[in-house]
Amino acid sequence: MQRRGGFTGRALGVFALAALAAGPIHAAGFSIFEQGAKATGMAGAFTAQADDPSLLFYNAGGLAFVEKTDVSLGATWIRSTKADFHGAAPFPGPNYSAKEETLSEFPPHAYWVQPITSTWKFGLGIETPFGLTTSWKNPDQFAGRFLSTKASLQAFDLNPTLGWQVTPNLGIGVGGILRYSKVELNRHIAAINPFTLQAADIGRLKLEGDYAKDYGFNVGILHKLNESFSWGLSYRSSIKAEYTGSARLTQISTGNPQLDAILAAQLPYGTGLPVKTKIDYPDQASLGLAFGLTRNLLLETDVDWMGWSKFKTVPIDFTGGATNSLPDTSLPQNWKNAYSYRVGLRWTTSPASQWRFGFVYDQTPQPEEGVSPLLPDADRNGYCIGYGHTQGFKYDIGLMFLDFKKRSVNKARPEQGPFFGTYQTQAVLLGLTLNF
Amino acid sequence: MHRLKVMAGVLLALFTAAGAALADTVVTGSANFAVYVAFGDSLTAGYSSGALEQTYQVNSYPALIYRQVYGNDDKFAQPLVSDPGLGSAGGILVLQSLRPVTVVPTPSVGHPINLTYPLPYNNMAVPGATLHDLLTKTQSTSASDPTDLILRQKGATQLQEGLSLKPTFVTLWIGNNDALAAATSGIAIEGVTLTPAAQFAADLKTVTDAINAEGAKMAIAKIPDVTSIPFVTAISRFVVNPATNKPVLDPSGNPIPLIGPNGPLQAGDYVLLSATAELSHGIGIPAVLGGTGKPLSDTSVLSASEVATIKAHVDAYNAAIVAVATTTSAAIVDTNSALTTLATTGINVGGVSYSSAYLTGGVFGYDGVHPTAFGYAYIANLFIDAINAHFGATIPEVDLYPFVFGPLPKSKRATLPVVEPSSSEFTSIVFTPEARRNLLQSLGVPQSIIDGKTPRPHHPHHGQ
Repeated sequence: MQRRGGFTGRALGVFALAALAAGPIHAAGFSIFEQGAKATGMAGAFTAQADDPSLLFYNAGGLAFVEKTDVSLGATWIRSTKADFHGAAPFPGPNYSAKEETLSEFPPHAYWVQPITSTWKFGLGIETPFGLTTSWKNPDQFAGRFLSTKASLQAFDLNPTLGWQVTPNLGIGVGGILRYSKVELNRHIAAINPFTLQAADIGRLKLEGDYAKDYGFNVGILHKLNESFSWGLSYRSSIKAEYTGSARLTQISTGNPQLDAILAAQLPYGTGLPVKTKIDYPDQASLGLAFGLTRNLLLETDVDWMGWSKFKTVPIDFTGGATNSLPDTSLPQNWKNAYSYRVGLRWTTSPASQWRFGFVYDQTPQPEEGVSPLLPDADRNGYCIGYGHTQGFKYDIGLMFLDFKKRSVNKARPEQGPFFGTYQTQAVLLGLTLNF
Repeated sequence: MHRLKVMAGVLLALFTAAGAALADTVVTGSANFAVYVAFGDSLTAGYSSGALEQTYQVNSYPALIYRQVYGNDDKFAQPLVSDPGLGSAGGILVLQSLRPVTVVPTPSVGHPINLTYPLPYNNMAVPGATLHDLLTKTQSTSASDPTDLILRQKGATQLQEGLSLKPTFVTLWIGNNDALAAATSGIAIEGVTLTPAAQFAADLKTVTDAINAEGAKMAIAKIPDVTSIPFVTAISRFVVNPATNKPVLDPSGNPIPLIGPNGPLQAGDYVLLSATAELSHGIGIPAVLGGTGKPLSDTSVLSASEVATIKAHVDAYNAAIVAVATTTSAAIVDTNSALTTLATTGINVGGVSYSSAYLTGGVFGYDGVHPTAFGYAYIANLFIDAINAHFGATIPEVDLYPFVFGPLPKSKRATLPVVEPSSSEFTSIVFTPEARRNLLQSLGVPQSIIDGKTPRPHHPHHGQ
């Protein structure tokens, strides 16, 4: 773990700024599978195609088939159109509802692929495979403010990859992943006000982890069996990121000076409290089958697996000793491994243009008792359409409507207690990738 | 781009198809709430912070259960008392200061506002009532005894008045005072402050047989371990430095125990909340630490053996409750384990911690014995969960939001104007002997014990 700095840190600084915006949308938990507009148009069913530079993310096996230098630059505009919460008994009750901020973010992607020999190829990708922002409107009044007011996580991968064309129709690729990631958690702290015998806000806690740098790898295989069938298999490893950072507790007046003074004497308000936390990013595997239906029509079906069961807990350990600490806590997650199912259709209408359509059913890895204002996730369906201009000024556009199933929570872990209700989320994703 | 637009429109239409929210209908299963009567003591009456006061009464657990079934409490009659309530020493207790902790009753008092209600109340609970009182007591026995406020001198007992309404559903939570007086008075003597288990079982059978004879379905709540309430646990048995709120240590670094009637307090001994009067005069504090060196009186201390005696009785009462609930097919509400959870791990509601801690726990009010409004709402949900499970009902749980953040739900019933005491009327006293007597009276402790006139066996007999 080290702070930003040094050559790589500086070189990536600009990109980091862009990645800071990494999105609100929690594609299968907080993964972002939209790393190229072409694939986005086909709902990410791209593992068995992997025929543009975004192959570095979707299937490194595709690198083996690269015949010329290609560079792609793009971003996915992720905009939540709805993120509502309606309460249920016993808390915060059926009369309560709240909204998340409708965020608008641009997780970027950039790829460079380059043949070395006729069978060995090199590629360098920069991806934003994970990101999350859950930010509640009117945080000072939000009933779940003692759980979370705003949580955000940004991750971007530097992904150098080597491809080897084993036979004219079989390629494999191996890459290293250097992941820079950062996490921020915000919530209020409550106490019972002895004068009112009701809950009172006594502080805002902001916890920021510095950029962590962690390593992983990816492998891929692409087998173009014949003109009308190919298959691909891709795997990206899990990465354990440990963050050091600092937390700051800012006092909120209870309205009673005597109580405020007692609290101020007991709690470390206004100082940086050294803190450690960690996030276990899941590994993921994709299997894709592509069928050439006609000369112009290609259908691909993918199954993706994500090893979210590694995401067990987010520990928050204060390391400031007796004076500069708060009690350690842990945000249990206990997620389950999850699958998503993708279908994509590619329709080549002319030598210069392609239309793409897709559908994805994405299963949430989050158990019901883990759904909270920190990160409310749900199963979702994605409906996609895309267009690609493949000659001259080359670009791809992919549009996805992401409809989350209503997520109702009626059970809780005892240490957190009830925050019951129903979350409803919808989002639109618009990917744009330019190819040079 | 036209094709794109059409496609987008179709897709949008697909996933904006909103599911219509189904209205919840309250199903009470095999329980019938046509006429609901609650029997009990102060805990059922909604007594809080040393007084009966309407803000808490309209949020008593029986009123909350009724509101969850019917959506309002228009027809749930209670012996309401206007603000600032009726306690034995004035109105409801308020916290004046945390340094030092100063809890005082409001000097003005409220008055009954529902005395002329023509029928017996739906909430028949009488603060201070023991199980036996349900069968025998028809009127007040002292000036601060609120029995007449509820039973209104009709010559009938709590049970008789309630059953005359021909209830279809009854909640019964009685027996707390059969053990509580021993805990709050620091004197555990069977037959004086503790009801003998055999008598408890016999009385309980009489009561439930009478309810059964009316054909009413029933939910019976267990008796909590009264030794885990803040009245018993709030004060450390060690000398505490009031400036730091930490124990004073001797030269070898050990905390120094207070002096009880039998010498330095031992592990398992408790100092009662009512001992603050003596402690503030240096009683119980060793002379070397600036105290008088005199021992705390017997009524200020609950010894480990007294705790054991009380717990054994509570266990026996609960065994009788479970037995009678089984034979009468009543729902059992495990208020005992709920209080144990509060006293040990605490509970959490949306990131807010609640526990049995005095002043800061959020569950118990200023008398250290009776729940806060949140505490009563939590208890109401225990009842509702038990009723739902036992009778196949789907009564929604009470919405805790107003109990966590306020303002508390108000009754729609007409009330008389509220007399607000001005703050200058408060007298700053920290549990004076007077306040202690009033507090104990309000808790149903026998007068003889409050006055220290209880005959105690000098040589405790064993094996009886």
